[in-house]
Amino acid sequence: MIAASVPTVREEFKALSPAQFFARYREIAGFSNPTRALYQAIRELVENALDATDSHGILPSVKIIVRQDSENPSHYVITVEDNGIGIPPQHVPQAFGRVLYSSKYVLRQTRGMFGLGVKAAIIYGQLTTGKPVEVITSQPGLKRIYYFKLRIDLQKNQPIILERGSWRKSRDWHGTIVSITIEGDWSRAKQKIIEYIKRTAVITPYANIVFVAPDGVVLFYKRNIEQLPPPSKEVKPHPHGIDLEFLKTLKENKNFKTVKDLLINSFQGVGEKTAIDVLILSSIDPSISPSKLTERDLVRLAETLKAYKRFRAPKADALSPLGREIIKAGLRRIFEPEFVEAITRRPAAYQGHPFIIEVGIAYGGKVPMSSDDGPILLRYANKIPLLYDEKSDVSWKVVSKSNFDWSQYNVSLPAQLIVLTHICSTKIPFKGVGKESVADVPEIEKELRLALREVARKLRIYLSKKIREEEKKRRIIVLARYIPEVARNLAIIASNGKGDKVDGILLEKLSEIIARRTGADPSEIIMVAKQVEVGV
Amino acid sequence: MPSKVDLEVRRRGIKLFQEKFGRLVKRILECKPPTLVIPKRTLTNTIYDERRRLLLLGPEKLRRSFLDVNEAKKFAQTTLMAAIIYEALINNEYPTIRDLYYRGKHTIRYRDIHGKIREENTWDEQRESDAVIRDIEVYLGILREELLILSKEKGKVVGNMRIRSGGDIIDLSKMGHGAYAIEPTPDLIEFIDVDAEFVLVVEKDAVFQQLHRYGFWKKYKSILITSAGQPDRATRRFVRRLSEELKLPVYILTDADPYGWYIYSVFKIGSIALSYESERLATPDAKFIGVSMTDIFGDKNKKPWLSPQEAKNYIIKAKDADIKRAKELLSYIWFQSKAWEKEIKIFLNKKAKLEIEALASKGLRFLADTYIPQKIETGDWIL
Repeated sequence: MIAASVPTVREEFKALSPAQFFARYREIAGFSNPTRALYQAIRELVENALDATDSHGILPSVKIIVRQDSENPSHYVITVEDNGIGIPPQHVPQAFGRVLYSSKYVLRQTRGMFGLGVKAAIIYGQLTTGKPVEVITSQPGLKRIYYFKLRIDLQKNQPIILERGSWRKSRDWHGTIVSITIEGDWSRAKQKIIEYIKRTAVITPYANIVFVAPDGVVLFYKRNIEQLPPPSKEVKPHPHGIDLEFLKTLKENKNFKTVKDLLINSFQGVGEKTAIDVLILSSIDPSISPSKLTERDLVRLAETLKAYKRFRAPKADALSPLGREIIKAGLRRIFEPEFVEAITRRPAAYQGHPFIIEVGIAYGGKVPMSSDDGPILLRYANKIPLLYDEKSDVSWKVVSKSNFDWSQYNVSLPAQLIVLTHICSTKIPFKGVGKESVADVPEIEKELRLALREVARKLRIYLSKKIREEEKKRRIIVLARYIPEVARNLAIIASNGKGDKVDGILLEKLSEIIARRTGADPSEIIMVAKQVEVGV
Repeated sequence: MPSKVDLEVRRRGIKLFQEKFGRLVKRILECKPPTLVIPKRTLTNTIYDERRRLLLLGPEKLRRSFLDVNEAKKFAQTTLMAAIIYEALINNEYPTIRDLYYRGKHTIRYRDIHGKIREENTWDEQRESDAVIRDIEVYLGILREELLILSKEKGKVVGNMRIRSGGDIIDLSKMGHGAYAIEPTPDLIEFIDVDAEFVLVVEKDAVFQQLHRYGFWKKYKSILITSAGQPDRATRRFVRRLSEELKLPVYILTDADPYGWYIYSVFKIGSIALSYESERLATPDAKFIGVSMTDIFGDKNKKPWLSPQEAKNYIIKAKDADIKRAKELLSYIWFQSKAWEKEIKIFLNKKAKLEIEALASKGLRFLADTYIPQKIETGDWIL
């Protein structure tokens, strides 16, 4: 998170050596090579831009421009502009020039990794091109727009301000424009970046997104719904979701006199009675000071917290699902399907972490053809598209043909079928460090399957209705195509020379008979019949 | 100018079309679903009428509804064929079944459910239009010959008889070495006078020619006919008319094998494939004069016509297909008479067959002056 000073959302920051951090996390943060780095940098900036808008009740307008540096073709200038809440000017050097640590005492579902990613991008740019980062920002209500040109002193983990300035706003603009220069490889990264932008556009139908590529290609996704997903709230962690390390950090908190008070105030779902209960079970005197807790006390406490069955279920307030309408609008915006449906499941929990599953389905229209093995799958975790390792993701396991009988739902694969899965959680159970696929957690798998069944059932109803209607239409055409022939022939036998007149009457009567039988409109059938040409 | 008979036949056909299809039109004008109720032309719907000794269509009916997507095309084809035949009758034409195929063959161009233009032919092969003609015959209860539809001529006739055909008077006793080809519209033939006591139908054209040159029909006051193998409809209709209208007894001479027997039964009771025609084509009184198995081998009451040496020379060993066919005939109810069972059992026992030509080679005189007249005289035939 870049944004810090908003009334409803406040996060605490703590310093850590960025050089240390980046040295350790360069690969993990996704900056292993120029191709990957270009993609990752765009991602970090776009996700920050969206977090600065939709989490704060603003309909996003995000513009992404990637330009090749004319002096050095392997350098790319990435500029991302949003219309978000902006950054207080006094925080800008810190926000971009110093790696910040966001408190883990509160949990809230956001896209970015506590603002670490964008700093990784800045450092990577600085290391590969030597170019500084430029930031232009203003907040709602401020009269001026602020401009900064910064670099990071890697040794001291301090921003170096190269230029700064401000000017009066001529219009009520607010938002942030960040521009960085990094070494990249557009031709190799292109496909992945465009796919990322497109998949982001699918779940942000409430955002206008413009993407200008270095080769001049422009993608524009126009907002088609004026509704934002409800913002998430901060919540305390649930006791089932913690570990020993977390308890050690907790112990350092000097605000509480007793262990009992510490527990009550640090977790959700823990009251006086429960706290005492848990502490007695862990053989800890509830009235001692947290600083008196030994290593062995902490181990026992951690075990008890994990095993204790009587906590209330974790709160889902921290989660921000997209909602049915937004998913539907998003699928419509990109694929113009003939059928679209979505569902948001009720909150559930695994290992003390609340989660919500959302599933969308789109069929026909401009939806591309799927493979034989399953529908086209669009996976999202906390509103971030997951592009890789699809086949090892729990979502694939659920939607693939081998585990889901699509034929039961009137779908025969391959089909023009998309399934969108969105997992919101304060902790997504990713497989490995790549964060591209979600692990087979039984609770999540079950929720995904229930959600998929529900939307697929609606698709089945739609398709069987469509099949019935097509059957009716086909029947009308089969019958109507012979009307002129039959009318003409019977008129020849019945007319005694008044052929044409009888012909016309018979044509109308036959149309009426077919209309009665098929429940169609006679005029519709006459129209079909009159389009038929009987060759001579 | 068409003859009086011709016009009469046309008038009858036209009236039938107007009646039967007029009913259909009336239903349509009343907004009722149009349906053609047609007797089924299937083997299972073929029954043998023992009293009338005819193979007939059974009571099963096919309801061809225009509103049935599987029948709509057939329905349209039926009305199309009806209109074409109707117009030919009105216009004094004599179309062949091939003509009818071409006259009705055209393209229907329509849009499918996706709005794409598609084409369909009313019919593609003559097999299809021929089937529709048969449907119309059954639906109207009339033969295509009576609707003046032509087919190839096959049967021939000579004899002491004069007929009128197409306005000409033809003397069937003045055909030279040739014969009168029985026209495909035998109902247009008018019998003027006849001086004959019986009709002899010979399966083999070659034997017919020999008997004709020998003057058999003159000597024995008869009408001599050949079907040249399996009889066509015109020959069967012509024989039927001779039997029915002139009350002449009809004798049929075929090879002594299951195929010969079946040819006889087609003349007599009709064919399985076209049982709907029997009513107007079959000659229930036709008698199988030979060659019978007892003619060759004799039995306890009868001396064989051939000496053991001749029989040995002339008979041919039956093939597996003959045996199979003979067993099939045994299963047909109209072959389940004492005489026929005896005939077929001898065949199955001896596994031998004989062609009429063999009798002719014993001597034409023997065939013409001994075998045929004596068999007729002594009543040695199978019914």
